[in-house]
Amino acid sequence: MGSSDKGGKVADVLIIGAGASGLVAAKHLTMNGFDVVCLEQGQKVDHGTFWGDKPEFDLMTQKLWHPNPNVRDLESDYPIDTSESDVPILMYNAVGGTTILFGAHWQRFMPSDFRVKTLDGVADDWPFTYEDLEPYYDEMDIEVGVSGLGGDPCYPPGKAPPLPPLPLGKIGIKAAEGMNKLGWHWWPAPNSIASRPYEGRDPCTLRGTCRNGCVEGAKASFDLTHLPIALKHGLRLVTGARVREILVNDAGLATGAVYLDRNGRERRQLAQAIIVCCNGVGTPRILLASKSAKFPDGLANSSGLVGKNLMLHPYCAVVGHFDECLDSWLGPAGQPIQSMQFYETDPRRGFVRGAKWHVLPTGGPLGGPPTPGAPFDEAWGEAFHRERERTFGCSFEWGILAEDLPEEANRVELDPTLTDSDGVPSPRIVYNNSENTKRLSTFHLARAKEAMEASGAVDVTVRPPLTDRSQHNTGASLLATGHLMGTCKMGRDPATSVVNEWGQAHDVPNLFIFDGSVFVTSSGFNPTGTICAVALRSVRHLIATRGDQKVAA
Amino acid sequence: MSTMIDDDLRSTFVGLADVLIPAYKTMPPASGASVGGEPLDRILALRDDLREAFLRGVRAAAGEEPATAARKMNEEDPEALATIGLIAAAAYYMDPDVRDLIGYPGQERRPIDPDAPPDYLQNDMLKPVAQRGAIYRPTPT
Repeated sequence: MGSSDKGGKVADVLIIGAGASGLVAAKHLTMNGFDVVCLEQGQKVDHGTFWGDKPEFDLMTQKLWHPNPNVRDLESDYPIDTSESDVPILMYNAVGGTTILFGAHWQRFMPSDFRVKTLDGVADDWPFTYEDLEPYYDEMDIEVGVSGLGGDPCYPPGKAPPLPPLPLGKIGIKAAEGMNKLGWHWWPAPNSIASRPYEGRDPCTLRGTCRNGCVEGAKASFDLTHLPIALKHGLRLVTGARVREILVNDAGLATGAVYLDRNGRERRQLAQAIIVCCNGVGTPRILLASKSAKFPDGLANSSGLVGKNLMLHPYCAVVGHFDECLDSWLGPAGQPIQSMQFYETDPRRGFVRGAKWHVLPTGGPLGGPPTPGAPFDEAWGEAFHRERERTFGCSFEWGILAEDLPEEANRVELDPTLTDSDGVPSPRIVYNNSENTKRLSTFHLARAKEAMEASGAVDVTVRPPLTDRSQHNTGASLLATGHLMGTCKMGRDPATSVVNEWGQAHDVPNLFIFDGSVFVTSSGFNPTGTICAVALRSVRHLIATRGDQKVAA
Repeated sequence: MSTMIDDDLRSTFVGLADVLIPAYKTMPPASGASVGGEPLDRILALRDDLREAFLRGVRAAAGEEPATAARKMNEEDPEALATIGLIAAAAYYMDPDVRDLIGYPGQERRPIDPDAPPDYLQNDMLKPVAQRGAIYRPTPT
């Protein structure tokens, strides 16, 4: 592999999806001389169209820049049936993927996350360890420009992030004061948001609009951090390219993909190897849609696990309200501080695993859209003003990122009737919060309430995980993470996993998956840092073994 | 049916908006922030998805006493009332005078000095956390 002519019809590598993992692969493959085509169903985003520096910001986050594709309803989005899911699905479909809208919490997993079976007797161990992945974490920290403070005692000693930490702000200090009273862990949080000029990016100005598009260009959107380097080295990026199917030959090797362009034309891109990077929902969607005589249950699915073991990080939070101004519209958002006090398993709690906590600002006065039918006298009239007095500018959130364990019943399927605007079948999500998740959330919410009270909150709002499925597709569905994991599990045994430790499909040796689908367990951390470190490890292996790579003739 | 916002519809909207957002302490009512003027047009231009429910609600309330109409709408067409409320609140909080009154400068730009030593290192606030030591379980051997 790696010898075809530049611009030739058959690419060395076809990457499907120009999000974080796809662009990590694209950057490193092109830098190593591979001819790479990347198909992306969305478009390039003009960062000048973000609303963070305009008065209409709050209003526009409820629709055009909402992280839920069912709310945005753009042509580049595909509808997702979540009527059988406790958790809504968040993602962004564009060059840069969900990094356009993510909060840039740039986390590493902890060592125990890779050894869940060994340590806690549940789920499975990963095929590698924290120590195996650590060098790739270090490299990715530099590639994206992480701001943070080394020495966090929740991790083994290691390299400090390349940039100084972002300010804690009044909310971070207030939260930390409470944690110190209780003797609980906290630490200035790592963010892939530049605290000083970095690799052409401007520094953060604390505007607090990270999750709806960074106006300053300080956040590590991958269309800023990785795409330019890949393009410079010859990446052929095709936007508006909606993949319908991955093609295979009689030998069971992948030969390319069929996609639809924005003029409705069906096109084919052939390649010697294919890397799928469409996230934990989009990747199984394409594999399940790629049925053939040789792969009647979908591509790479001899284990029957494509689409299974979906993990979504059920999210819950405690919001504290204080009797002083905390400037709580300011960023980073992003996260000023984090806590892993209750991350590791303690059998006395009645559940396994744990959660990362992070402090978040609460934004402007508009908040989310009004709830239709809310009791009139609780929502309007003087109550409208009293609620603003209670919450605006004087609140912050302890967000709780609950680790959910893999369960085959939680899954992505192809919807029998729903399609995108090109007629490609949409995904249907079946996901129920487990008993372990419910116990974990209850415990953590109680502890976070204690933390808020220790910080001096005069009032506390507890927000348990979403269960009202009718709320998923309203502009209010922000109590969710967009962490989409586990649906093409990684492992050594082809009977119990979809890909090997290098992201290579057991069933199709020239098909790879580099996104969060390959996660064995979810951890309690924001996953993009680990998605990228795993993708970097995998692409380095692909580059190193290029001479041995089996390809279609 | 026309989707234009004529003067009668604006007047009905402002009447409803003042019920939803009345004067309070030092705060003006919605009409004091001119929510029925240019802000309404701007919001509907940006959020065309709100137009249908908005028009349905204000047309149903036309000619009725606003407080009675608003409460009735909350029972009979809650989506319309929530939409009218969202538009009123968005216009209200975009108003510069209202922002001044509540101390909100918008999502402002506040440049940082990355080289300034953090308070939490100067005052040893972080020290006890570090002193308690490691809280992770190492990779089992």
